[in-house]
Amino acid sequence: MGAAGSKLEKALGDQFPEGERYFGLENFGNTCYCNSVLQALYFCVPFREQLLDYYTNNKNLADAEENLLTCLADLFMQISSQKKKTGVIAPKRFVQRLKKQNELFRSYMHQDAHEFLNFLLNELVDILEKEASASKSDPETSSPPEKTANGPKTAQANGIQKEPLVTWVHKNFQGILTNETRCLRCETVTARDETFLDLSLDIEQNSSITSCLKNFSSTETLNAEDKFFCDKCCSLQEAQKRMKIKKPPHILVIHLKRFKYIEQLGRYKKLSYRVVFPLELKLSNTVEDADSEYSLFAVVVHVGSGPNHGHYVSLVKSHNHWLFFDDENVEMIDESSVQTFFGSAQEYSSNTDHGYILFYESLATNDKS
Amino acid sequence: MINTTNGMMSPSSSSAANNAQSPGLKTYFKTPEGRYKLHYEKTHPAGLLHYGHGKTVTQVTLAHLKDKPVSASPPAPPSSYSTGGGVRSAAARFLGGSNGSRALSFVGGNGGSKSVSGNGRIGSIGVSSLSNPTGTSNFDGKGTYLIFNVGDAIFICDLNTQDKDPIKSIHFSNSNPVCHAFDPDAKDGHDLLIGLNSGDVYSVSLRQQLLDLGKKLVGAQHYNKDGCVNSSRCTSIAWVPDGDGAFVVAHADGNLFVYEKSKEGAGDSSFPVIKDQTQFSVAHARYSKSNPISRWHICPGSINGVAFSTDGAYIATVGRDGYLRVFDFSREQLICGGKSYYGALLCCAWSVDGKYILTGGEDDLVQVWSMEDRKVVAWGEGHNSWVSGVAFDPFWSPPNSDGTGENVVYRFGSVGQDTQLLLWDLEMDEIVVPLRRCPGGSPTFSTGSQSSHWDNACPVGTLQPAPSIRDVPKLSPLVAHRVHTDPLSGLMFTQESVLTACREGHIKIWTRPGVAEIQSSNSEALLSTSSKDKQLLLSGKVGGNSYKQNNHQDIETGGIENPPCKYKTAMARIHIY
Repeated sequence: MGAAGSKLEKALGDQFPEGERYFGLENFGNTCYCNSVLQALYFCVPFREQLLDYYTNNKNLADAEENLLTCLADLFMQISSQKKKTGVIAPKRFVQRLKKQNELFRSYMHQDAHEFLNFLLNELVDILEKEASASKSDPETSSPPEKTANGPKTAQANGIQKEPLVTWVHKNFQGILTNETRCLRCETVTARDETFLDLSLDIEQNSSITSCLKNFSSTETLNAEDKFFCDKCCSLQEAQKRMKIKKPPHILVIHLKRFKYIEQLGRYKKLSYRVVFPLELKLSNTVEDADSEYSLFAVVVHVGSGPNHGHYVSLVKSHNHWLFFDDENVEMIDESSVQTFFGSAQEYSSNTDHGYILFYESLATNDKS
Repeated sequence: MINTTNGMMSPSSSSAANNAQSPGLKTYFKTPEGRYKLHYEKTHPAGLLHYGHGKTVTQVTLAHLKDKPVSASPPAPPSSYSTGGGVRSAAARFLGGSNGSRALSFVGGNGGSKSVSGNGRIGSIGVSSLSNPTGTSNFDGKGTYLIFNVGDAIFICDLNTQDKDPIKSIHFSNSNPVCHAFDPDAKDGHDLLIGLNSGDVYSVSLRQQLLDLGKKLVGAQHYNKDGCVNSSRCTSIAWVPDGDGAFVVAHADGNLFVYEKSKEGAGDSSFPVIKDQTQFSVAHARYSKSNPISRWHICPGSINGVAFSTDGAYIATVGRDGYLRVFDFSREQLICGGKSYYGALLCCAWSVDGKYILTGGEDDLVQVWSMEDRKVVAWGEGHNSWVSGVAFDPFWSPPNSDGTGENVVYRFGSVGQDTQLLLWDLEMDEIVVPLRRCPGGSPTFSTGSQSSHWDNACPVGTLQPAPSIRDVPKLSPLVAHRVHTDPLSGLMFTQESVLTACREGHIKIWTRPGVAEIQSSNSEALLSTSSKDKQLLLSGKVGGNSYKQNNHQDIETGGIENPPCKYKTAMARIHIY
């Protein structure tokens, strides 16, 4: 481990970014799904900074009760406060807490990195919301929760109109989709907003992320078995439906649906399709022609030919250098080698390293908190 | 001379029928003017499987070997020098401060082509005094070759035969060849340039390679030996049109070097350290003997493609930073340029008349840049992945045109990593400037300068920011056809056909509708070969984007040791003649 660290330090030389730490994460038996996502989140700088802020401002809370949020904050603190610039850290407490919290991740089976990311972000949101509501009842609290500017207006299922809370996790990852349905009889457009923390995209062979996003927002006709109940017509009608991005998130997380359930086989199959992702991206399927540009900063890569086994690694861009994180190992890579993780143009190929979750950060500075 | 060789390009193509390699792919596609049919396929020997999968990207160069020159280096008669005024001035400007003792041979042919290019189409004028000399020929007339790189080798195929396999392979032991260029008018025999992954560059005589039986490069001039001047990957290489042996090599570190093949590569060729990576700068070699003679630092990231305008006055570059840049080559000045919608640009190509530049890149768009307006005038939407090759079709003329029409129509093609070939028509009158959005229409984001996109012609030497999606008119493709199973790397147009190439080194030749009928009665076209060849070669560069590859040369030499036997028979035939 020492050797690997010094090698990276040598490679970076005097270009080693001031105050930055590059630490590998120990694998406790099939915990690479966790390690790869943690590295991507650690190098999501606004998320890391806000988590560390939270940690320093809420030390008393950390003493009170351990949860996934405090464990994650602890881990990030531990990494960022290392004396050495490189090395290996064991995310033991975090992984233990994760396994305690969710039985899904308890086994030593191969886990899905996207499922983990999704669980983690929702868990963090839950914890923050609970804390906020707890402090709300406490009049001494100093920071009242903000309200969403254009958040979802749909009533909650239980009928109680609750103002949705916007936590710093939301501010980083949450975007709003609007689901527009146009009744083909009365032409009434019904728009329903829903929030998202990541976008899961269907993929096609030899396509691009741009194209997958286009398909995601393409118009779909609801007919035959799948008609739409129009409130105005008070009946089932044929309709056209499309999804648009109403509010693009600051951190855009794109999940490529590489694991597809094949009915004939009765099991999941990995799609090794070649899906190219640019280092810069703009969303064109927005409600307004925002033209806001995103920059790729992390890729979680699934290595392997099937869904039930394999390995996860991550590529991370930090201070204009690309780094390759494979559990304990950290290496510097050239930007151009990102393209080796696009996938295979042919179904049977020796290349099994495929980009699975993409992390883009918005370059627009005026929509930040 | 593709158009006039013989009847080899007949429609009875048996090779197209057994298209076993690409199941599910059609062997034709329809356009308004008729069917394009798959005629021939060319590829590397089967022994060379995808060992270097994704490591190198195949590029294709079309090379037409003229009849053998009467003598090694005939000085051009002064009379031919004056045939084209535009050429003359361009050449004179280019001469700049370097040695003035150049013989400007073969410029007559280009002068003809230049005068034709005004209406954007190719006429059959421009008979050069130098075309078709009656000298002895080394070959039997089928002198058009496809040169392409796969892995550690350069392969050469005869364009006009059914043989799928190359007639010649050249292997490189030090690094993989990644780009190449051919000059049909090279005066001293060295007409083929090859750029390597290591940054090394060679110039050789194509004829000499074909005559040699070995598998190594012969009689090569070696530049940037072992990357001594620049060790980053070559990305694109081009002869300067009428540049008297001058050529440029673009590298992955954003530098472009200008060489002169007449000079020895030796001597001190060090250049000063680049102070500001983000600024364009040109440095000249300190000694007159040095080669390269100058270094242009163009952009911080990789230069992915370069293209000269027909007359050689301008050079366009596209790169990792997403910018198209157009330079006055002889003055070494930035003229104009602009950014892609997003992501890197991968390829570029000029219209023959020099009015438009096509670019393709990672935003899946084909961009049409107007030199007159100095801005993007259209975006072609239709690819489902990155656009890796673009080219105007210089041989296409609009149906029912009387030749005097006000609105010029251009036909162009593009290929992408979505495995598709798209054909487009660009009629400038049809592009409608979209409605301007009302001021302050978009409260969320304001990048400021974008709304002025259609108002101001930008001053010389400035780069335009990415236009807003609303501000650029959109084009839809005329034809979209899936041509290969692998992502494509390039395309080019010849008189009879469209050529498509995929990254893995398979090339398909699609004949134009009605080519066979025209061909049989078209013997008089022989007269116009010079100008046509010229045009053909201007468009005859399949440029792809090749990424940096790892040092995996020499992994497998199995396929190298056993040349395809077809190669030997082909060589034997050549020796008989």
